[in-house]
Amino acid sequence: MSKDLRIIGGSQPIFDAYNKVTGKTCYTGDMKLKNMLYGKLVLSTKAHARVVSIDSSEAEKLEGVVAIATPFNTSNKKYNSALRFADHDIPQTETVFSEIVRFVGDRVCAVAAIDQKVADKAAKLIRVEYEELPAVLSVEEAIEEEAVQLHDNVNNRLNDIKNQVGDVEKGFAEADHIFEDEYRTPIVSPMALENHVSIADYDEQGKLTIYSSTQNAFAVRNIISAVFNLPQSKVRIVKPTLGGAFGSKIPAVLEGPAAALSMMTHRPVKIDLTRKENLIASRTRHGSIVRLKTGVMKDGTIVAQQYNVLTNTGAYVGSAYNVIGAMSHKVFKTYKIPNMLYVGTPVLTNLPIAGAMRGYGSPQAIFAQQRQLHAISVRLEIDIVTLQRKNLIRPEDVDLEKVGNPRPLDCMERGLELFDWSVKNKWKLNKKEENNSNLRQEHRDSGRNNKRGIGFAIGCHGNGVYGAHRDFVGLRLKLNDDGTMVFESGTHDMGNSLITSQMMILAEELGLEVEDIAVVESDTDLTPWNLGDYSSRGVFVTGAACIKLAGIMREKLLLLASAMLEEAEENLQLQEGKKIISASGKEVSFADLLLYSHRELQEDVMVSTSYGSQAGRTSFGAHFAQVEVDEEQGTVRLLDYVAVHDVGQAINRLSLEGQLEGGIQMGLGYALSEKMEFDEQGRLKNSNLKKYKMFKASMMPDIKLDFIEEGEVPGPFGGKSIGECATVPVAPAIVNAVADALGFDFHCMPHDAEGLLEIVGCES
Amino acid sequence: MNNIKLKINGRIYEVKVEKNYTLLYVLRDMLDITGPKEGCGTGDCGACKVLIDGQALNACTTLAVKCEGKEIITIEGIADGPNLHPIQESFVEKGAVQCGFCTPGMVISAKALLDQNPKPTRDEIKKALNNNLCRCTGYVKIVDAIEDAAQKMRGDNHE
Repeated sequence: MSKDLRIIGGSQPIFDAYNKVTGKTCYTGDMKLKNMLYGKLVLSTKAHARVVSIDSSEAEKLEGVVAIATPFNTSNKKYNSALRFADHDIPQTETVFSEIVRFVGDRVCAVAAIDQKVADKAAKLIRVEYEELPAVLSVEEAIEEEAVQLHDNVNNRLNDIKNQVGDVEKGFAEADHIFEDEYRTPIVSPMALENHVSIADYDEQGKLTIYSSTQNAFAVRNIISAVFNLPQSKVRIVKPTLGGAFGSKIPAVLEGPAAALSMMTHRPVKIDLTRKENLIASRTRHGSIVRLKTGVMKDGTIVAQQYNVLTNTGAYVGSAYNVIGAMSHKVFKTYKIPNMLYVGTPVLTNLPIAGAMRGYGSPQAIFAQQRQLHAISVRLEIDIVTLQRKNLIRPEDVDLEKVGNPRPLDCMERGLELFDWSVKNKWKLNKKEENNSNLRQEHRDSGRNNKRGIGFAIGCHGNGVYGAHRDFVGLRLKLNDDGTMVFESGTHDMGNSLITSQMMILAEELGLEVEDIAVVESDTDLTPWNLGDYSSRGVFVTGAACIKLAGIMREKLLLLASAMLEEAEENLQLQEGKKIISASGKEVSFADLLLYSHRELQEDVMVSTSYGSQAGRTSFGAHFAQVEVDEEQGTVRLLDYVAVHDVGQAINRLSLEGQLEGGIQMGLGYALSEKMEFDEQGRLKNSNLKKYKMFKASMMPDIKLDFIEEGEVPGPFGGKSIGECATVPVAPAIVNAVADALGFDFHCMPHDAEGLLEIVGCES
Repeated sequence: MNNIKLKINGRIYEVKVEKNYTLLYVLRDMLDITGPKEGCGTGDCGACKVLIDGQALNACTTLAVKCEGKEIITIEGIADGPNLHPIQESFVEKGAVQCGFCTPGMVISAKALLDQNPKPTRDEIKKALNNNLCRCTGYVKIVDAIEDAAQKMRGDNHE
């Protein structure tokens, strides 16, 4: 960066940290509106059935029950809960409540009562009579020819998404070796600690205000307005502070049921899911089957690669196409392979709805990509580092205009250093020579059954949705009487510091301190339009929009100063400390400029702008792991972990590190402890946090981090994303290390000790 | 219904509760003390932790009637007015807060630990957090913050 940066690249705690550490932050679930009722959903206990009748007579007798909303008295207009914008053309299969339930956890009806205890009790008294239908609980079953179809407007096997470059058949014909493998990834939960929660408040004037844990307020407004046939002037979606999201809060989930109950009662209604409900009735990460065929020359050059992917998208179309479509781009980004074909097909099954989750298609495909590359290195006896170096994309190989500044190789090289790869690897190569005295003790297997291994993986993720569909944001900035400012952003901060980063960018550009900026966040009646916070666009797109917005404000202030100081604009300069100075030494504060504008021009000082993303860019990360596997117990101990990411330029170093550390924890769970398991009736077997195991503090390895900051135009100050990319390389790095330790070729995650022993036992 | 008196953050509250009401329900739904969060309702995530006679316990699995005569401190009772407790201060400074939903429980667990063990090792800190789940931070900066707070509370010079 040529410019000296005052704030950017520094460490700024998240803007609302004070309220969060004192318990003062008001999340949606903490809100209590006057006369508020409490809602409870009745969820399907069947994987596939027709609802014949709903007998609510016993529930209605209960004192304090105010309303019961069912598929028979509520709008049955179909929608797609993952809608992004009004004219987004994706299949509509969902309704607020389901007359035909399609998974255990589908919404049957809901009750509103004077308190949560009465609502819970009433929900239990509602008798639902089902006529059961055959169910398909796996991708394989669902695509059989005679399989029962879930919907009448789409097939279980949804349409293929294809993407290609070169001629893959020609490439395979030229290759010296062909490798074909099938990889499987599990269904997991995004598991934001705050469960989904919505409060709908339909008032006497017909205005419906919904406070909701959402990442996509404007899209939810589209859905609610269409489903309940309300003009958008009568629907307002407000996002209070979010307690984590990770993609799960993009779709509309509870807004419809809460709105239905509020419109029936003309009272505010809150629906706050329990953890168990949240696991089945919100969204999951798509399970996948990835068939991967790779053609390699003798020297390790990859000449052709073909992906055939089936994802388990659950019972409704939702994000089916969004996720597999995103995946179709990501597999092309890391290597310079001349011939590639990707065919991805989402499949509907009678399981909970899959949706967006941090990584959005990358974790599945990249697991296969990185696992197979490791296996190829073993099979061809070519060192994995050599294999990666030979094939990784380099900035000098690409058209900078089109691809930008991809730095996976730099990530790998820096990671190799930090991890001390050559020393650890040397031990491995000399494994059989037990008496080699030069070997470091810490890299040996520590016992007869304890095998150590090392592995790494390279992952990538995008920066926004440029090229897929519209990707822009509207922003507004207003000057206060004292020179401080109010920033109105449709951004949904999920704890990932998006708002803080945007404040830092504005402050850097306008000579303010971060504390000089107040923020109005994501409220469809108050803030400019926002596409929703997904696809790692918060910094790359909205951050760049902040630079544009600040530029317009700077122009406006310079114009005012020019009039006020009677100096030409080119002699004026905006300076740190909320002031403008002239070459001749005159000075005027922002506060005086505002007073001047009010007094002399009778004009407010307020600017707004829209910014459309200028390019598709990719973030990369290389992760390295050393593990020790107990061959008898199946346990995996993490000994060392290194992660290096290509972020262009650090905006907020503290949040960059925090995002990466959190992404690693999520990826470790994906590899070694998390999996949603269903029984033969489609019921979730591990429906609480005792049985669904997230990584705990004591399970975390020590982590070394570093960042490659070589700039990425047109990111703000050259910055690009970290949030989603952070979790992509983790699972393949871990599984590659476990594979190395055991000399075993894994095609799925070990999940846990039992799983590991089963995999190794079954396949060997 | 039973009439009970609860001492919360130094103040006495009289509430009418059923025997099966959890402390978390009484705090959040009856008394509007919403700092403690419900992340699981089964005692697994620790977001609802409060200090009961100095011990960090899950309010979601603690019955309100069993808390009579005990000293209950919630996250709202940790700071000294507008002045943050050193643990809270370190959580802010060290980036231990992201979405913040686990934070009240984390701060409570840290307080219980440091009150009993002013100089914990990193492993002891991690162990003390084993009934607190976080999905955002990977715990790294939370452990950093507790180490930092311990130092401040002992009056050691900062490294």
